[in-house]
Order: sequence, then C-alpha cells, then structure tokens
Amino acid sequence: MAIDKVTLEVLKNHCVAAAESMAYTLYRTAHSTFVKETEDFTTGLTTPEGFTFATPTELGATWFVGMNYGSVIESIEHYEDGDVCVTNDPYSGFVCTHTPDMHIWKPIFHDGEIVCFAVGHIHNTDVGGAVPASLSRTLSEVHQEGIRIPPTKIVHGGEVNQEVLDILLTNVRMPEQNWGDMKAQLAAVNTGERKVLEMIEKFGADTFRQGIDDLLDYAESQARDIIRDLPDGEYFFADYMDEDSVDGWPCRIALNLIIKGNSCTLDFATSDPQLESSMNIPTGGEERHVMMLVGLVYVLYTLDPRLFLNSGITRVSRCILPSGTIVNPEFPAAVGMRTLSAMRLQEITFGAFVQAAPDRLPASPCSGGPIMNVNSVDNRNGRRVMASIGPISGGAGGNPIEDGAEGSGANGSFLKNTPVEINEAEVPIKILRYGLAPNSGGAGKYRGGLATEMRFQAQAPNTKVTARNRDRTRFRSWGVLEGKAGTNSAFLLNPDSNHTVNLGNTDILTIGPGDVVHVAAGGSGGWGNPLERNPDDVVQDVKCGFVTPESARDTYGVVLENGSHNPTETQRLRDTLISNRENGEAFFDYGPERDKFESVWTNENYTALSDLLDDLPVHWRFFMKHRIFEAVADDPDGGSIRDRFAKIVEEFPELSRGLAS
Amino acid sequence: MINDGLDHFSDRKTIIRMSYRVGVDIGGTFTDFCVFDEESGAVHTLKVLSTPDRPGQEVIDGVDAIGERYGVSPSDISYFTHGTTVGVNSVIQRKGINLCLFATAEFEDVLEVARLKMPDPYNLLSRRAPPLVSRDKVFGIQGRVLFDGTIDTPLNEESVREAIAGVRAVGGEGVVVALLHAYRNPIQERRVVEILRQEAPDLAVTCASDVWPVIREYERTVTAVVAGYVQPRVAHYLTAFQEALDSAGVPAEPMLTKSNGGVMTAELGKTQCAQMLLSGTASGVIGAASVARGTGSQAAMSLDIGGTSADVAIIRDGAPQYGVGEMIGEFPIHIPTVSVTSIGEGGGSIAWVDAQGVLKVGPESAGSSPGPACYGRGGKRPTITDAFVVNGYLGSAALGYSAVDIDVQRARRAVEDIAKSLGCSCEDTAEAIIKVAVSGMYLEVSKLVSRHGIDPRDLDLIAFGGAGPMLACFLARELGMRRIIVPPTPGVLSAFGGIIADIRNDFIRTVYADLDADVTDTLASATEELRLSGLAWLHEEQGFDGTPVMQFSADMRYRGQSYEIDTPLNESWIADGDLAAITAAFHKEHERLYDHADETAPLQIINLRLVVSGVPPKPKIAALEASDVPPVPTGSTAIYCDGREQTAEVFRRAELLASQQFSGPAIVTQDDTTSCILDGFSVGVDTLGNLILYSEG
Repeated sequence: MAIDKVTLEVLKNHCVAAAESMAYTLYRTAHSTFVKETEDFTTGLTTPEGFTFATPTELGATWFVGMNYGSVIESIEHYEDGDVCVTNDPYSGFVCTHTPDMHIWKPIFHDGEIVCFAVGHIHNTDVGGAVPASLSRTLSEVHQEGIRIPPTKIVHGGEVNQEVLDILLTNVRMPEQNWGDMKAQLAAVNTGERKVLEMIEKFGADTFRQGIDDLLDYAESQARDIIRDLPDGEYFFADYMDEDSVDGWPCRIALNLIIKGNSCTLDFATSDPQLESSMNIPTGGEERHVMMLVGLVYVLYTLDPRLFLNSGITRVSRCILPSGTIVNPEFPAAVGMRTLSAMRLQEITFGAFVQAAPDRLPASPCSGGPIMNVNSVDNRNGRRVMASIGPISGGAGGNPIEDGAEGSGANGSFLKNTPVEINEAEVPIKILRYGLAPNSGGAGKYRGGLATEMRFQAQAPNTKVTARNRDRTRFRSWGVLEGKAGTNSAFLLNPDSNHTVNLGNTDILTIGPGDVVHVAAGGSGGWGNPLERNPDDVVQDVKCGFVTPESARDTYGVVLENGSHNPTETQRLRDTLISNRENGEAFFDYGPERDKFESVWTNENYTALSDLLDDLPVHWRFFMKHRIFEAVADDPDGGSIRDRFAKIVEEFPELSRGLAS
Repeated sequence: MINDGLDHFSDRKTIIRMSYRVGVDIGGTFTDFCVFDEESGAVHTLKVLSTPDRPGQEVIDGVDAIGERYGVSPSDISYFTHGTTVGVNSVIQRKGINLCLFATAEFEDVLEVARLKMPDPYNLLSRRAPPLVSRDKVFGIQGRVLFDGTIDTPLNEESVREAIAGVRAVGGEGVVVALLHAYRNPIQERRVVEILRQEAPDLAVTCASDVWPVIREYERTVTAVVAGYVQPRVAHYLTAFQEALDSAGVPAEPMLTKSNGGVMTAELGKTQCAQMLLSGTASGVIGAASVARGTGSQAAMSLDIGGTSADVAIIRDGAPQYGVGEMIGEFPIHIPTVSVTSIGEGGGSIAWVDAQGVLKVGPESAGSSPGPACYGRGGKRPTITDAFVVNGYLGSAALGYSAVDIDVQRARRAVEDIAKSLGCSCEDTAEAIIKVAVSGMYLEVSKLVSRHGIDPRDLDLIAFGGAGPMLACFLARELGMRRIIVPPTPGVLSAFGGIIADIRNDFIRTVYADLDADVTDTLASATEELRLSGLAWLHEEQGFDGTPVMQFSADMRYRGQSYEIDTPLNESWIADGDLAAITAAFHKEHERLYDHADETAPLQIINLRLVVSGVPPKPKIAALEASDVPPVPTGSTAIYCDGREQTAEVFRRAELLASQQFSGPAIVTQDDTTSCILDGFSVGVDTLGNLILYSEG
C-alpha cells in the first residue's frame, strides 16, 4: 500500500537531500579539474532493482535522470555489506555508454537485505587507448577506446580490490587522477549510504522501501499527466549529423513519435546503420535506455517544471531501436563520440514534440559548437601546455514567449566557459575576439539565441588545436512555424586574409605562430514568422548588433529610420514580403543546404535505403550506405535507390547469395 | 525645540558621560533598532515601520521612539551603525541609473555571455536575467593590455570620445569602465576614467579595477556594473540618512555595515557601495558569531528566518565564513562577503496540494503583504505561520511589538481548505505543513553542509529572525542537532551585529605566478603595497587610531586547477620568503576543504590578499541577574504536536533569569519573536541572556 502523501513529500526531500549531498561530496573531493570544470558526473539512489528514484539537480550532468542500473546490478552474483562495484564497459549491460564514464554502485543493506543502491559516474579525463582522452571520431572499435572493466567489485567487503585497481591504473595516462576521482566517487556513495540509513531510522524500513517505489510512481503519474495533455498522433522528425565519419556522408537519425493517451512510443527504425566511426550510441536495444530519453525528460520538464526528476518519468515511453543501427550498434562498434550523436538525438526529440506542442516548446537550440583544446609550448618558460579553452556554445531556440537565450541555453545550459583572462594567462594564445556571433540566431517572431564565437592567435610553432564535437557546418538548427534556421557553425584558419582555409568539420589542426583560428557555433532556430516580430524589438536588435540592418530589412521587413523605424514603410515592405514568400506552409525551416540535400535524398529515398540496408549483414551496412551515396552523388539521375542497390549487390556474389536465401 | 534639547543634553553628557551605541537594520517592512547602554551594559530593542518612500524618516522615527521608550537622548548616541537594503532593492526592482559600459573592443558581449551556465539546466526555456546594461549601451574601447600587464595596443583615445558620444546618444547617467587585464595593469582603464572626468564630469564613473581588481573579466565587470548601477541611488540615500541623523540631533558619525561583516563610514559608502550591498544579512551573521563566541560554540550554523526566506551561514571558531560570488538579486558580486545561503522558505511560504494529491510548501510566499491568513490583511492561503497558529504555538502573545493581531479563525479557515483535499483534520494538516516545510529546509541545509564537508550533528544552531526560534527545534530534530541557542534579541540580531562589528576592509594584488624562488620578491613588494593601502584606509579614510589587525592570505591552487583556495598566511612567511611554510599551509587548507592534498604537485599563487581591521572597544553587556528559583510561567496553552495535544507552559522572555531551567513543551514569548520549545528539549538561561536548548534524546 502506498505511503501517505505527506510522508511522501517529506521522504522525497530527504531522498533528494541524499542525492544532492552525494553530488556535493563528489564535487568537493574530486581530484581532476575536468570534473570541477565540466561537472560531467552523476550521483543518485536506485531501488534494489536499479531504477533511479533520486537524482541531484544542482550539480552534475543532466542526462542521467532515467538511469536504470538493473542489468549491471544483476550481473554481480552476490553482494555483501561494504561492496562497491564498477564498470566502464559500454557492452556490459549498457549502463556505461562510453569508456571514460566510470559507473559505480554500492548496495545498501538493512537487516541483511539490500534496500537500495547508491550509484553514480564520473567522466574520466583518460582511460587509455589509442588517443589521449580516449575519444576520437577516427576510432572504429571499442577496443581502441581504452581499458574496459566489466562489472566488478572494486571494493569487496570494505577492502579495495587492489588487483583490479592496479590493472586499471596501469592502462591509463594519468593514473593518479583516475584514482583520485574514484576516491571521490567512493566518498559519494558512502555519503549516500549514511543518508539512506538515517532515513530508514527516521521513516522505518517498510515506509522507506514502499516510499521509494511510490516516488517512481509519483514521477510517472506527473509525466503521464503531461503526455495526456498533448494531442494523440504520429510526429515524424529526422535530422542529420554532417558526417558519419571523418569527411564522410550525412548521418540520419529519424524518430517517429507516437503519442497515445498518456504514453508514447519513440520509433527509431529508419535511423542510419551503425557507423564505422565512434558516434554510435550503445543501448542494447533497451526500450527505456537512458541515452534515448534525455530529450523526453527535457521536454516533459519544460512543459511542467514541477515534474519530479527520476526514472519513473521514462515509464511513459518505449523506444524501438533495431540492432545494427547507430542507436543500437553491435559489438565491437566504437562509441566514444556518442556525445555528438546524443546531442543531435535530443534535438530530434524536441523536433518531434514541438509538432505536438508548438505553442509551448522552442525551436532547435544551437549545436555543433566544439569543446576547444590547445596543446602548445609557452614561449615564456618553455613549458608544454595542454588545456581546454572552453566550449564554443550557442543559444536556445526562439520560443512561444520570447527570444532564445543568447550564447547558451536549452540542452547546453550546463556548460561553463573559461574566462578570456584565464585562458590568456594559462595558454600561450592571444584571444582576439570572444562574444556573440552577429546575425547567427534564426529569424523569427521570437528569434533564436545567438551563437558564441572566438578568434585567437597562436604564439608558438606546432600548436595543436582540437575541436571535439564539431558539427552543423553543413546542416543548420531548424526554426519552426515560419521561424528561420540559424546560421551554420564555422571553423576558419586565418579569416579575412588571402590564405583563409575553411576547415569544415575538421576536429584536429596544427598551426604556427601568427596563425589565427576563428570558431563559431551554429545559431539556434527562430520561432514564428519574422514578419510578425515587433519592429521595436528588431530596432533594438540592430542597435545591439545582434541583427544587421540588411537582415532587419530583408528578413524582418523593418525599414529603419533615425534610430527607430518608419511604421508606414515597414508595413508596406512587410506586405510585399508576405505576398512574395514561398512555402509559407512549412512547419520547419531547415535552411537551404538541407532542402537541397533532401531534393535528392527525400524521406522516401532515405527510408527505402534504410529498409534495404536492414536486410544486410551488419558489417556490410555502412559500406553499402557509402557506396550508394557515392553513386547518387556521381549521377543524381541514375535510377531509383532500389535499382542502384541491386546493381552494387551484384558486384559481391557472397552478398547477393546471402540476400537471395 | 530640537536645538534646545540638544544643548541641554550636551551639557548633561559632559557631566555624567552618558553614552549609547545604536545599531539599525533597515529592512523592507521593519526597521530594527538595537540600543546598547555603555553605562549599564543594558541592551534595548525596538522596531518601527520602514519608510522606503522617505529614506531616513524611519531613523528619525526610531530615534524619537527610543528616546520615549528608553529615555535615550539623541545627543548621547556616540556610535551609530546601520545596514540597509537600498542597494539590493535598487537591483531587484531595477531602479538603478541608466548605465553604460566601456569594455575592450571585440569583448563587448561580456555581460550577455557571462559564464554561460543557466540557472535551471533541465528547462529548455531557462535563461539568465537581462544584464543591467543592455548591449546597445556597451561601447568598445580600442586598446589592449596583455595578461602580464604589458601594453599590446595603446589606448585609442578617439575610441573613448566616440564612446562618450554614444553615452550621450542613449542618455546615459553613468559609466562603468572595465577593460581586459586591468587588474594587472590599470593604466588604460585609469586614462579612460580621466578622459571621462574631463569631458563628461556629470557622469557617475565606476572603474572596475578599483572596485575589486581580480582576474576573470565577467566577474570583475558584473561586480562593477552592480556597483555603478546603484551607486548614485545609494549616495543619495546616504546623504538623506546623514541629514536625518543630523536633524535628529545625533552627533555620532554614522557608520555603515558591509557585506564583509565590517563597518565603514557612511561617507565612504557613497563611493564604495559595492561593499555594502549585503550589509543586513552579513551583520546578522556577525551578531550570530558573537553569540557563538559568548556561548563557547566551536562550530555553529546561524539560522535567520523571516517572512519570505531563511538565511543560513556556518560559523567556525566564532568567525563567519567568507566567500565571493554571493548573489545580489540575479547577479553575482565578486568581492569578499560573509557567506550566506538563502533558502526560499519563510513564515509566509504558502502550502498547497498538487495534482497528485501531494502536499507542498512554497516557493510562493505571502510575504509581509498580504501576509499569512492569520494577519487578517487579505491573505487567504495557508502559510507556515498559519500552521503554527492553528496548532497553538502562536497567538498566546502579541507579535511584532503588537503591530500584528493574530486571528486564529482565519488561520484555521485557510488550513481547512487544504485539509479537505488531504482528508486530514485541521491540526494534522497544520502539522503536515510544518513537517513538509522543515523537510524542505533540511534539503537545503544538507546541500550546504555537504558543500563544506560538515556533519550537521557537530553544529550548534543559532536561531534568530522573526521565525527562526519558532522553527528551530523542528529543524534541529530533523538534522540531529543537539544544541540550539536563541539569543536575547533574536528579532534584531542584525542591528546588534552592527554595533559590535569591526572596521574592516579587503585588499588584493594579483600575482599569478608559480610558487617558487622567483616569486618571493614579488610577494614581498605586493605585501608592502597591501600593508600601506590598508593602513592608509584605516587611518586616513576611517580616522581609526587604534591598533590595526592585519590578516594576510593568498588565493592559491595546484597548477592546472581552475579555482583557488584562500589560504591564511603568516606575514613573516612572506617577508622571509619561507615558501615551505606557505606550501604547507596550502596543502593543509586543501586537505581540510577537499579531504585530500597532493604534496608533490606544483603550486600557483594567484592573488595576495589582506584583511585590515580596526577593532573598536567591544561593548560589555551586563550579566543577567541569576536566580535559583524555577521560572514562573505566565500561563499555559494547548498545542498540537507529534499527533497529539500537549500542554505547553508559556514564559515571558523578559522575566527569565540566568541559571533558570525548564523543559519543553514550552513557549517563550517576547516582542520580536516566539520560541517554540518542543517536548524532548530542556532549556537553560545563561548570563548573557541566551536560551540554551538541549535535545534530551
């Protein structure tokens, strides 16, 4: 029987206090600067079955609300008081989703029985493997992404399992950081244990056990109320990453969202085959995998911020994740850069839901901005410096009430930058500009937030710049309801010179003294028709330098005059623009690049390709996708996808025999 | 009349040397007075209504009232401190001046970009408050200083003149100048200020490197912007205040309490107003720290609960904790400030039931207007205060110096509304409201103590503010705290804190270097500079002629870390170049705060800092008369607690004497607050008049 609704609220506050205290303990005692700077960690409490019922909201990554530790909990046969288990293997239970994430779980006992688990993870700066930091798009097998620890007791009955620890630390580049951070994780789960035992003393074991299940039911019930408010229907949305591998072809993630009553289905069946680069998202096909539902959690919380955040929320949904796709790759596909695809996946979820609630949800946030790292030598003291100079972020999409936040926001709200003054003090570069990228926000009745941009000059030879997670050089963040897409992201070497190089989606670059790098995130999308924007707001945007006078005239139809605008002329211009506009009916604006791409790769063609690839053995799919894309690029009018496919299959007798049978 | 009185009392003063110290804390609703009689050691308190429309009037009213009530003549007031929320309110209500910002060209978006992170990262619509200076009022200045202070590009004075023209075009009233790396070399910033003073002498100018010269451009800029935004308002207010005091016949030079827990002259506050923005909350903690010292408490948590929020601070060894980045409204200010965590729960927080039938308290508050339903001022929804009324804790004596009448029936009606949806009795619902509210505070306090790595069970709870002593036992039970201290004047502890505060100021020099032999000369010369600035401030600007207290410290870190620890240093270590001692001090501090230290890692020293204080003679508070006879209750009242009706004895605070003891359930009434002592707590009264509550469990 459920506990009473007063005790439930009191218990809820105590459970959140436990989760938050765990997070503060971890944050306070963590060794690596990476943890302090990026807050890429979580803490939480799960039921004995592994469902997260309490999670911190002040500190830590925002992606792990729906976490289910069930599979790794089950993989350990027997627990004793004082055990702590770890894993960082993306293919052992799909709790961990790339190797730097070290997940831990500690059983909490009362009267000899497990009452719950204290859990959490830290993104380690490095876990060994082919490249420093263990992450690169170029990797194709998980074996290259560092050491993998399958679910194992790292602490056994209170004693550290030194043998396992030694193996781990022998295989990483900065062992004292990994061990220091793991100690912080252990301190956090111990804090969790202490708090849980205090709760059991206060509430009684029976109330606690029942209460944590009730907390899951509570969040579920709130989430169901939110879904019930949305109109039933099917909402299809797809978007692309610019490249499925270094210099590769676009990579599509497609979602068919079906809302029915108080639940929803997220069908990803026509998403791309698994990649031979490291942007796969390992889910094991679990229908409520945490990575697949981050976007859903954001949407539901945005629709009602009173929502209590725990994994009960995810019960309103189920996902369809066919094996061998980017959203359910088969071992040993590399997964290190799943962050990039996971961010795109979140935006795709927003794109599906905004069709169901366009008057309550925003256009696409910025994406494609990198985390920048510089590796160079400080001329002043000859010391080699390797440092992050911060994320290049962008704003939130325009929304039904107001413009999107500038420079950061939406699902990038957790990011923090590094001050210019600190960067210049620490890293041998001179920063020439850091600020908002003018005109980058998608036009709209409510404009998309501007992206940030940075321009800096190297001071030493052989300066290596890495720009992880870059994207949106080709495709843009979308606008809705006649709001426009944002600008593309940019990565230029020596801009405004006679030897400018457009670096596209390059993510590693070596430059010398005097070279200037310009990097900008993509702009976010606009909401609503820009011709309906209050002209005074357009005037203010021009004064602030957020919108150019040309754009004010051509896109917003505002005729500027003496620091204000001319109302009569503005109305006349707007009337003209309205009568001239094309495809005003479209719900989304994706920008010209995607329109052009989709004039060839229509949804029909892409779906046909997906269906055909489905029938192939997994290891053929990525290869075949590339062959077909090349064929279509070489000869856009060379027949249907099906015909082209058949033609290529004929080249490979083993494959055609397999398909025939 | 006033002049006559003045003369008369001046004469008397010379004869009998009567002297009073007065502390005033001006809040949004009430202005608190605390009067200390140097002769007798007695402490008197008073509250009057604030008069935000006529700044200074509440002071005149109060000075009149303490004259009437306690026979204090204005001319006998020898020391007068006050804290005010005028600066904070100007920010929150956005009633500062039309302000412009001069920033380094190509970095003009510093306020818009801030540090990126948004307040509610789970909400796709989350955003920061719009900056106090909109982007069209930010003007780029050509010129560039590098990190090491060298000039990369000379100042283009034409760009300054263009910027001034820009200020004119937008009708700006003031300018903040905040250029890159000016904490290291302010020469270009100073020159810009000079040009402004020459060519636009009517504009109020704030120079960021003067406000707090510390590395990190957003933090330094936003701090200066908050200061520049409120400065003319604050200066105007302080002038009115000085005049009010003058016209009331108070001869004392008025002092102002500061965010760092110290005081400075009101005259100085007109230009250094960044330092007085959190004066009221800080002096509450100073008051609590003195209570901690007086009761021998080594570690304590101060709990100041008012109508809309609860302020919590940690006090170690009788001293508050300091930090930077405290919030003024929605903006962080990065100057050294007494660390206070504000929880959005107070006596006015409203209880409600959500769609799932779950009882919630807050974050909405009835505030002081309309206030709780029991005030009968139009509030209809049940608040925490109403729950205390329904269950009998409040209502047996007047509240707020009889300014408020408690209407039990209104409180019941409000609580009954949600009792129906919960299906509980009115009393059980009231108790549930208290439980939920306390669990919400438990959550926030848990975060605070985890951040500091403290076990709350090792802390004493010092409860004050209008609602602190009412909720203290409940919260102590929830947190496992065993000792609660309720000071004699819990409703006016901030005003009291002002009376006992030191004259105090902070100074900083950026060093930003590896801690090795090369840096010792730099440290020694920076120390000397700090010392001279500190002494000049104390002696010349404050006119203090006592012995100065100087505490040096350094912001240090392991190389590669992105945050610094303020590590106290012995001055001789710096003078003697004793790097080993400095290093050891840092490792020790790192270990204390973060539970680990890396003794082999290289260190960086970012800033050298000095806190200079002048300690005025401390008031000697008269010991409370002792009694070995048990206290006599004024009566008893029925309360409903822990699911049952109980009989609580009611005591009047003014009648309690030192060494007297009693046990809960009991209620102690006084003008400024009501203390609820639950079953399971015993109470003793100490010679300072504190109630010391022990949990008997």
